[in-house]
This record gives sequence, structure tokens and C-alpha cells, in this order.
Amino acid sequence: MVIGIICVMKKTNPSFLNGVPELLVLRLLARQEMYGYQIVEEIRTRTGEALAFGEGCIYPYLHYLEAEKQVSSRRQEVEGRNRNYYKLTARGRKRLDELTSEWNRVTTGVALLMEEQHA
Amino acid sequence: MPDFIEPLRRRLVELGCPMKQVRRLVREVADHREDLKQAALAEGLSETEAEARANTSLGDPVLLAEDLMASLRRSTWWGRHHVVAFGLLPLLAYPVLWALLFTLELALEFALGYSWDAKKLQVAVNNPVTFRHLSLALHFMDYAAIASVALLFGRLARRSAVKFKWTVIACAICSVYGLFTWVSFGMHSLSLGFTVSASLVPQWTRAAIPHLVAGAIYILQRRTIRRFREQVAG
Repeated sequence: MVIGIICVMKKTNPSFLNGVPELLVLRLLARQEMYGYQIVEEIRTRTGEALAFGEGCIYPYLHYLEAEKQVSSRRQEVEGRNRNYYKLTARGRKRLDELTSEWNRVTTGVALLMEEQHA
Repeated sequence: MPDFIEPLRRRLVELGCPMKQVRRLVREVADHREDLKQAALAEGLSETEAEARANTSLGDPVLLAEDLMASLRRSTWWGRHHVVAFGLLPLLAYPVLWALLFTLELALEFALGYSWDAKKLQVAVNNPVTFRHLSLALHFMDYAAIASVALLFGRLARRSAVKFKWTVIACAICSVYGLFTWVSFGMHSLSLGFTVSASLVPQWTRAAIPHLVAGAIYILQRRTIRRFREQVAG
């Protein structure tokens, strides 16, 4: 099952998935500078196609993260193609740490409950 | 092959997306489409097939524009909470903002005209001609403060990509305040007040200003769309 993120968030995502797109994008950008298409593709492939951004809908989200100073962008030409590259800022790294610990807390809690049910 | 980018741009403009955002979104979606096309070409598809697949992946440009606008709205606090931001907040913020702007303007005028010298001001007020000028300036500052508050909400609504009706609602609230509040300038006094009493004449000029601001914003938006259409047609 593919869960569409951002564009159809209200239609398909339960509330516990709020914050997941932010976590995924920040996590990817923590590794390297990336452009929109690359981020969408990485999310699709790295999550085993379980999660997917609506094509094109990642951009308002990236602009929001930029306005929040969690990422910064620059126009750069690579192999004859001009693209907007996004990278994580110090504030974005701090936010990533917060989201990661929150995610770990939630998944640990859910895992405990699931184990309890199986026992 | 039907054009994908132009309908996207047109719909974004029609939906009232700020032009800066339109340019940036269109450029990035065009880059994205080109990446999708290149990926399809790398798989061995022909140019036409690759373009068709890129367009299919992106979907209907009109729907994508609407999704982009919805995402843009959700990306700001003002857009996510537009009912609170433009329906309730002006109720609380108008008196504070108006008082702040009016005080700032008064302070600026006194600082420039009288260097905070009370004697100079008293002499000026005692002169009927200067008094009239001061009174006019005071009313102008009052109107400017009202217009500034309405403009602030209009600009916030525009930047957060909410529908134009929210600008109208915020301006209508400012207008109601304008109608029932007043500023009066006497020989040696300045009074401000709020009334719903029928004995006092409602301040129609003050009430009209936010509506004029909303009208001006609407005309500017329509002009932007018309110019854009002319550019496309040209």
C-alpha cells in the first residue's frame, strides 16, 4: 500500500503520520544536498515504495521548510541542468533530532503494545 | 502533445497565488517534469512517449495547481488557520494595531513639527489656521492607520494564498470598527472613543476605507491575471 504524503495528506494519512514528511525530508537532506525530484524518488525507493509524495507537491513543502529556516536552497547547474538544490541548516538539524526522538518514542510504544498483544 | 506548464501557471495565477511563488513553483515543476521525462527516455521510451509519461505522472495541471495551492496554504499558520486569522484575529488585533499605528504617526508628527516642545504646540493650536491644519493631519493619520491595518490583513491573506473572501471578511471587521469608533480633536484635547449610540453619527468615511482597500486589492489581482493572459496571448 502506498501512502501519499502532502498532496493528499488529509484524505489518506491518519494523524499519527503528521510530521512524517518533515522527518523524511530532513533525514534525506541530512545526508546530502538534493533537488525536488531526487527527494521524491529517494523517498519512494528507500521506503520500498510504501510512502510517496505527490509529484510536484513537494515544492510548497520545501518552501515552507525554507521559510522556517530548516533548509536553505540555491540554484545550481549540474551536467547542463539548472535545478534548485536544498540542504539542511543548523535549525533543520535540531528539528531532525527532535522529530527522530519523537518518532523513536512512538514506534517503541507501538512495538511494546504489539508485543503485548502477541504474548 | 498538450502544453503542461502554461495551464499550470494560468491556474495558479487564477487561484491568486502570489507571483513570486508562481514563478518559483512553475520553474521547479518544469524541472521536475524534465527529470521525469529524462528518466523515461533512459528507459528507452521515445520523446513523445517520455513526455506523455511525465505528464501522466504529474497529473492534470489544473488539479496539480489546486493541490499546490492547498499545500501552499497549509505551509503557513495563516493559511492553516484562516478562519481564526482573518475571521477572529482582526476583532482582537484591530484596536491594538490601529492604536499603535496612530500613536506612532502622532509621535512622528510631533517630533518633526514641534520637537516635543509643548509650548510650541500650544501656540500652534491657538492659531485657527494651524489648528485646522493639525486637525486635518490628525484625521489623515487616523485614516492612514485604518488603511494600514486593512492592508496588513490583505497582504497576509495574499501571502498565505487563502481565498479573496478572507480579505473581504478581515476588511469588513476593520470597517465595523471604523464605523463605531471615533477620533475627535479639540483646541487642547484629543479624544478617542467607541459608540453604538444612535445619537452619534456613524463614521462613514472611516468605515469605507477598509472596503476601498479590499477593492484595490481585488483590482490589482484582476489586473495581474489580465496582464498574465495578455503575455500568454502575445
